[in-house]
Amino acid sequence: MEPPKIWRERREKYLALGILCQECKKKSFPITQYCPHCSSEDISELKLAQTGKILHFTRVSQTAEELMFYAPYIIGLVELDDGIKVTGQITDTKLEDLTEGMKVRMVFRTLSKNGEEGLIGYGFKFVLI
Amino acid sequence: MSKRKVYVIGYGITKFGEHYELNPSSSASQALSKAIQDAKISKDLIQSLYFGSLVSNRNGQSYIGAEASRECNLNIPITKIDVGNASGAGAFHQAFIAIKSGLLDCIAVLGTEKLSDFVNSSTLEKILGGTIDYQWEFEQGATLTSLYAWMTQAHMKEFNTTMEQLASVPVKNHKNGVNNPIAQFRREISLKRFLNAKRISAPIGRFDPATHCDGSAAVIIASKEFVESHSEIERKVKVVGSAQSSDKISLHHRGTLSSLLATQIASKKAYEMAQISSKDISIAEVHDSYPIGEILAIEDLGFFQKGDGGKATIEGKTQLNSDISVNTSGGLKARGDPFGATGIAQIIEIIQQMRREANKRQVDDIKYGLTQNVMGTGASVLVHILSNMEDDK
Repeated sequence: MEPPKIWRERREKYLALGILCQECKKKSFPITQYCPHCSSEDISELKLAQTGKILHFTRVSQTAEELMFYAPYIIGLVELDDGIKVTGQITDTKLEDLTEGMKVRMVFRTLSKNGEEGLIGYGFKFVLI
Repeated sequence: MSKRKVYVIGYGITKFGEHYELNPSSSASQALSKAIQDAKISKDLIQSLYFGSLVSNRNGQSYIGAEASRECNLNIPITKIDVGNASGAGAFHQAFIAIKSGLLDCIAVLGTEKLSDFVNSSTLEKILGGTIDYQWEFEQGATLTSLYAWMTQAHMKEFNTTMEQLASVPVKNHKNGVNNPIAQFRREISLKRFLNAKRISAPIGRFDPATHCDGSAAVIIASKEFVESHSEIERKVKVVGSAQSSDKISLHHRGTLSSLLATQIASKKAYEMAQISSKDISIAEVHDSYPIGEILAIEDLGFFQKGDGGKATIEGKTQLNSDISVNTSGGLKARGDPFGATGIAQIIEIIQQMRREANKRQVDDIKYGLTQNVMGTGASVLVHILSNMEDDK
């Protein structure tokens, strides 16, 4: 990952921000220039709901080098309480302790490490409530 | 729409598998020169080369088509078409459009991939990460396999699809692959072996995904006018439908995970173009990179009701010479999946069946054959329909 990309994505990744369209009033994630529902440019930033429920989850044991640091880990499809769906890791738990529908809370964690001297990627993951 | 008729007049394909001794351009050239020989035309008649490849830019050389044309000594336009891991079918679709438009009359289409060069599986996972939402799925920790696991879970939950039904997809395809000389795996695998395999991303097991391998496939396509003015052309198969559609790249933005909208739209467009319905299709090559892929395909293409795909497969309704013979080649699962070559290889299987060259996997009385090539988890899907009817509608 290169610095310009990390800098550009800092608000949505670090603060978990989406957008609220002022025209059609629909919420969406991630931040885009145009509303993905009605293509309006009249949008404002929106803080995502911090809690939600697990719709799907499974284990990942093989992925890119920079993400292997925590592998095997659990990846989940989470529906937040505001209706927005996001993909994120479900951490601090074991696969066998999870079931669909469990409530989770968003946490700020390390996502990737580019070797000993490379950049560290941060973002959100989820923990069970 | 243009009424111009388009034919495939020749094909060439390499054996799929691990070919450490071959460099990418030689593999591509093999398929291309075989296709030219098969078409029986002089290579100087080919006006353009369209090629599709997902990773050619990662082995150093970004433009394998140029190297292949060097070995075949062609001085024609060479264009790489990018539809991710469905680039083979993407290149074929664009070549079809070029001939249909009337500007060109004879085009070579090449799909190629050299994946055994990537010995570290993390590199390939990252490349495949580019076929899903890289920023909001892959960088968050998801992989292509884990997303297919969710799609499998969704189908199992919604339609009570069982593990046995899912495993019956690769069991059938490995059985078909035994009789395909170019397939990477020419042996059967038992249902029990699939079911007992370790789960890598539950419910997906270790033996479920198609393997990423080396391979190249090429076809020569031409207009009816070209075919009629070149008596040396002996065999031709008509392309009656060619369509592409797309859907949201990230699963978290889709309304459902138990069907592929892009398959539904692309196939509807292709059936309309061919003026037929799903009932007219006798053979189909579909994207079975994971077992759920084939089940979604046979439902979304309209061969079976939504939710009945698993049941139909385990009951043998998609096996060789049944209601509809699906993946007679062995599919991506047994043939192997060299991404860019796969879409062309699917079309070649239909041509071999129509030319009655499929030997032990031959299907009788074929009117129409269909191919479905999927990019990522269905962000883009291509559907092609071929016909061997002399006088179709």
